[in-house]
Amino acid sequence: MEALITKLTEKHVLFAASFAIRLALVAYGDYQDRTMVVKYTDIDYHVFTDAARFITEGQSPYNRSTYRYTPLLAWLLAPNVLLSLAFGKILFIVCDVLSGLLIYRILRLRGLNPETARRVCSLWLLNPLPMGVSSRGNAEAVLAALVLGTLLCMEGEGFFSVSKIYFGMLMLFLMYFFCLLAGHLTWAAVLYGLSVHMKIYPITYALPIALSLRTTETTSEKDKTGWRRFIGFTGSFLNRRLLLFTCVAGGVFCSLTALFYYMYGWEFLHETYLYHLIRRDIRHNFSPYFYMLYLTTGSRWSQWLGLAAFLPQLVLLLVASWSFHSDLAFCCFLHTAIFVSFNKVCTSQYFLWYLCLLPLVIPHLSLSLKQGVGLLLLWFAGQGIWLGPAYFLEFEGYNTFLLIWLAGLLFLIINSFILIQIIVHYKPTQTPQRLKAE
Amino acid sequence: MHFVLYTVFGCLSTCYCFIATAVHSEENRCDLLKQQLQSSRVSVQITKTGFHRELLTTVELRPDVPSGLGVLLIHRWPRGVYVDPFQLATLSQQSHWQMSLDSAVDLEAAAHQAEGFVTRVYPAVDGPTIRVTIPFHFRYHQPRYDGETFTTVEIEPPQLLLRTEGCLQLSGSEPHATVDAPCTHSNASTCPWVRLQQQERGPVGVGLPVGDGSLVAPVSAGTLLVTTLCCVSLSTRMWKHRIV
Repeated sequence: MEALITKLTEKHVLFAASFAIRLALVAYGDYQDRTMVVKYTDIDYHVFTDAARFITEGQSPYNRSTYRYTPLLAWLLAPNVLLSLAFGKILFIVCDVLSGLLIYRILRLRGLNPETARRVCSLWLLNPLPMGVSSRGNAEAVLAALVLGTLLCMEGEGFFSVSKIYFGMLMLFLMYFFCLLAGHLTWAAVLYGLSVHMKIYPITYALPIALSLRTTETTSEKDKTGWRRFIGFTGSFLNRRLLLFTCVAGGVFCSLTALFYYMYGWEFLHETYLYHLIRRDIRHNFSPYFYMLYLTTGSRWSQWLGLAAFLPQLVLLLVASWSFHSDLAFCCFLHTAIFVSFNKVCTSQYFLWYLCLLPLVIPHLSLSLKQGVGLLLLWFAGQGIWLGPAYFLEFEGYNTFLLIWLAGLLFLIINSFILIQIIVHYKPTQTPQRLKAE
Repeated sequence: MHFVLYTVFGCLSTCYCFIATAVHSEENRCDLLKQQLQSSRVSVQITKTGFHRELLTTVELRPDVPSGLGVLLIHRWPRGVYVDPFQLATLSQQSHWQMSLDSAVDLEAAAHQAEGFVTRVYPAVDGPTIRVTIPFHFRYHQPRYDGETFTTVEIEPPQLLLRTEGCLQLSGSEPHATVDAPCTHSNASTCPWVRLQQQERGPVGVGLPVGDGSLVAPVSAGTLLVTTLCCVSLSTRMWKHRIV
């Protein structure tokens, strides 16, 4: 009994402490904004608040220039205008701590004991990077919570704890009964549809999810050859679970899109989706393709080069899906890390997309602590090497384009090396608790 | 009878005195305005380095500044720069000037895709020297293909417009012109302003780093080579360690 109490207390201490630190940062940020010239709050937070103000006045949030997100976010932040400017930041830090809780649940489901699981999820909860990002007013934590929720529901047994958590936030009895009846896969599909609506990149998880939900081959089918095998393969995608997932996720995504298209028109589609797909930001960023795309803007080669830049991403995502679809958390982590590293535009905000999934991977790595810290320092060094010439270009006016280009290539090589080390040292566990209930 | 005559004469002379004083006062004000225009100087200076700069506009008026003098500075900005309206809104709350823009500014477009724009600054007049600092940012410019690595962006000094209560127009053929412009930054009404014609100083030029277009072949080849190598290396490792 005493041991249980100690355990509970420790767990609550961890989550309470991480929430308290984030709250203190929000309070400090408010103080810094009021007294110093350099502001703590990110410019994006002001963009969200301005868009929320337009919504409270009955107008389109896209009246705010550079608002390139779903209207759902502006609706969520309406209390920023109606109640207090700090509401959004409190929401983001709650989602951040919630992500930590979801990581803990997933790790427990994958067979880790509570103490190890707590230690691993403290890598997220006590990590200054997500703390800083959420307290500055970036909305990445909301998406991290949605993606982690999807993964937890896909694991199966997490559905009760998820329904308690999400439902504790929603407080709608009808939805509670719906999720009791509907089952974990439906919840996973709902959360997945919502995450794709908020940001496009989770669409890359569709292939590994489909591969993991399809009917697995029996031994007799494995003996087939040629086009019979191909037909068997395509047929394996037509099963009840995959169809249910596709219909629910597709339904959630399409109905949200239809609703906001009806409310805000073409501008919604353009700013939320098309802009991100066709955007060619030629300003300097971490992407290895930045200088090549800058030098070829407007030329007849730019379309072909854009396509050439897309091919490595596509090939790698296909290989990753096929190789690791049976371990969905690891597969999603690899997908996101590859997507971000090989993307045509890469800013430091994108790193959070795969950092929230890293704690799920770490317990299964056979790297020593020294090796792990070494890889982490290498990753930071890669960013530092890029940030130096970028600072001199933007704030001092030196022409450091070549150095930025080389630093971008080096960062890609470092990222690839780190990913290879993770892949080589990953030991997937076959845990008895990982039941996929029908 | 005489009394009535004296009263009428008294009223008429009072009226004449009022009108004469008013006209004389207006002439005084217009004279003052003329003198201000003739001896006012406008200069600009660009401070800070890199892509984020500040334009410091200094207006030197004559020491005898008439009360109620209104000053308007019209900046015509080239397509290679932009100002952030949200940054300016925050700044104008803390400083003594108000600004209006004539068109929406795209904050992210490159220089060749953007247009120039006009800003109107209404500083408060509390002394013969007026200083206005406007933060602006350079847009990305197209790369150069002639081996040069910098391009020059030129910013012209602003036009100075003056206005004073009680002087509606200046006469004569002095070097000035009367223009209509909004009275305040809220664009509610238009007033006649007097513009200083001669500009003594030319534009201020700033060098901005741009990409070197002559390197497009080695940069493209190098980028595609490194990304292909990383892709192949990652793919082979993933396939080798796949979980079946």
